[in-house]
Order: sequence, then C-alpha cells, then structure tokens
Amino acid sequence: MKDSCSSISQLLERYFDRQATDEERSLVERHLPICQTCHERLTLLEELRKAIKAPVDEALKEETFPWVWEKIERGIRLGKKPSWQESVRSWLDLSPLLRKKVWIPAVATAIVLALVASPLLFKKTPSYSERSVVEYLESQDYNVMVYESEKAKVTVIWLFEELDPSTS
Amino acid sequence: MNDREVELISRCQQGDQDALKEIFDQYHKKVYRIAYGVVRQREDALDVVQEVFIKLFRSIKNFKGKSAFYTYLYRLAMNTAIDHSRKKKKTTFLSLDEEGGFQPSDGYEKRPDHIAAQKELEEKVRWAIDQLPQDQKATLIYREIEELSYQEISGAMGCSIGTVMSRLHYGRKKLKDLLKDMVKGGGG
Repeated sequence: MKDSCSSISQLLERYFDRQATDEERSLVERHLPICQTCHERLTLLEELRKAIKAPVDEALKEETFPWVWEKIERGIRLGKKPSWQESVRSWLDLSPLLRKKVWIPAVATAIVLALVASPLLFKKTPSYSERSVVEYLESQDYNVMVYESEKAKVTVIWLFEELDPSTS
Repeated sequence: MNDREVELISRCQQGDQDALKEIFDQYHKKVYRIAYGVVRQREDALDVVQEVFIKLFRSIKNFKGKSAFYTYLYRLAMNTAIDHSRKKKKTTFLSLDEEGGFQPSDGYEKRPDHIAAQKELEEKVRWAIDQLPQDQKATLIYREIEELSYQEISGAMGCSIGTVMSRLHYGRKKLKDLLKDMVKGGGG
C-alpha cells in the first residue's frame, strides 16, 4: 500500500490539473477511495485552488469595466512615448521572469570578453619617449658600440678588441 | 489562430483602433482575471487592463505569429501586472508583525463581521501569493485562475513542461504552508 501511495502521490497533481493520461487517471481513481492520505491531499489542492480563484471569479462577476475602453482610446491618442526601458523590453520581448535569465549570461559573457581583451588593450607598446639609440663606431684601436636609453638615462659602451688573425 | 483573428491582428498592426476594440471585447475579461490574480485589487486590475491594451496596440507590430496570439497577450498581461504590483508594493497598506507574518490592515475591527472575514481571507491570500517567487506566482495564476494546460503555460512562459510542473508543485507547497490555518486538507 505504501509503494502504491507514494507512486500515486506523484501523479496526484497531474490528475488534479487534468493533465494525467487515461491510464494514470484510472490508477488514481482506483486508489483514492482506499487511501485517506491521498484523498486529503486532493482536498487540500482543491481548497488552495478555491482560495486563489474564488475572489477573482467574484470580482469579475461584479465588474462592469466602466470607461475602460474610453481610457484606452485616450491613452492611445495621447501617444505617451514609452520609456527607454519599456522600448528595450518590448524590442527584446523580455519578461520580468526572463530578464534575470537573459542578463546573467550576457553579463558573464561581457566579463569574459573584457578579461580576454584587456591584455590586448593594455599591452605596452614602445613609445617615442622610451626610444633607445645604438651607435657603432669603428676606430683603429677598438670598435665601439654605444647604447643609450633616453628615459632611464643609461649609457652602455662596449669596446670590441679586434682579434689577432694569427691566433684564430 | 482562426482567420478572423489573423485579420484583426493584421488590421491592428496597421493602426486600426476598431480592430483593437474587437480584440478588447474578446479578451478583456481574461486579461482582467490575470491582472486581478496578481494585484488582487479592483482599481489596480482595471489600470492593468488599460495599460495592457495600450501596450498591445503599440507593440503588436512585434507579434510575428510564431506563438498563439493569446499566449502573447497573456504574457503581456502577466508582465504588466507583475510590474504594476512591484511598483505598488512600495506603498502597500499590508503591515507585517515582528516575525514577518500577516496582520490585518487598520480599521479591520470596525467592519461588520462577515465583511471583515471575507476581507481577511482575501488579504491573506493576496499576502500569501505575494510571498511566492514571481515564476511560481505566474505559473499558479495561469493554472488555477486561467486554467491553462501545462503545454499552454510552457508556451506563455517560455519554459519546459517539467519546469511548469515543478513551479506548480513548489508554489502550492509554499502556499499551503502560508495558508495552513485557512485550508483544512490534511496530509503532506
């Protein structure tokens, strides 16, 4: 009985919502008369529905929709321009329920792109002010190479002694 | 969509207000039910109905007929009602006790008993529905008030049928806990 009850309870909401298959429906209907727990669960679902629906039915029964169409016509005539948020939402057809789902991946993608692009954007390229000068001078005694960095004010001088051809 | 509806939508897309009036005549009660289900106040529900049809007239050009027209309209109604309710929440007259529970509004005791009891019931249901996450609230309203099938709800909300069933289950569970002194059904 316990197994049967637990499997039926999974079908109960579908049965209550009239979304169960014929087979599922007959299973539930065979079970309900012999199971007080499932019967009470079904009663609870009915009471919840009544609590939600009854005030709406009652309100609609008494409603005359006074001047509603006239106000709509006036609203259209006034042609109030929708706010930019409304325009964007209308354009994207986004619901308040979907906004979160759309923007979370969008923001995540933007962050990833920014992380990927930042090394390229901030990559240091040699600037004119950081230029270096290398000169090579030949003399009778030594060959001299001079390296000067303007910004750091560093000068490096190499002296190259010519090798004796006989030693090589 | 039947031919008549296709024609009305097409005329409406070209700015024909008579076509909008026919759509209004056909759907305003359904839109009101959704609006009232969310905002639970007559004046607010009427404001939402007006806003929905004005928005429909402006945005119907975006309707490409990929989904049923009524799911497009229901989604517009639900979104408008939820937005309205969110704005209204800032000025709600419902007060919460120290534990965050329900407490009737001022003036409750001065009312005749039967009116007060009905008012309390309605306010408590509204308060309980307001506690639900928006997706559960919308799913419950589509199902319990408008009696849409799981398939239709999944179309209106852009989610799977499994998600619809899950939202209904957890929404009902939470409502049952919040309204436990109102609903008498036993069991888990």
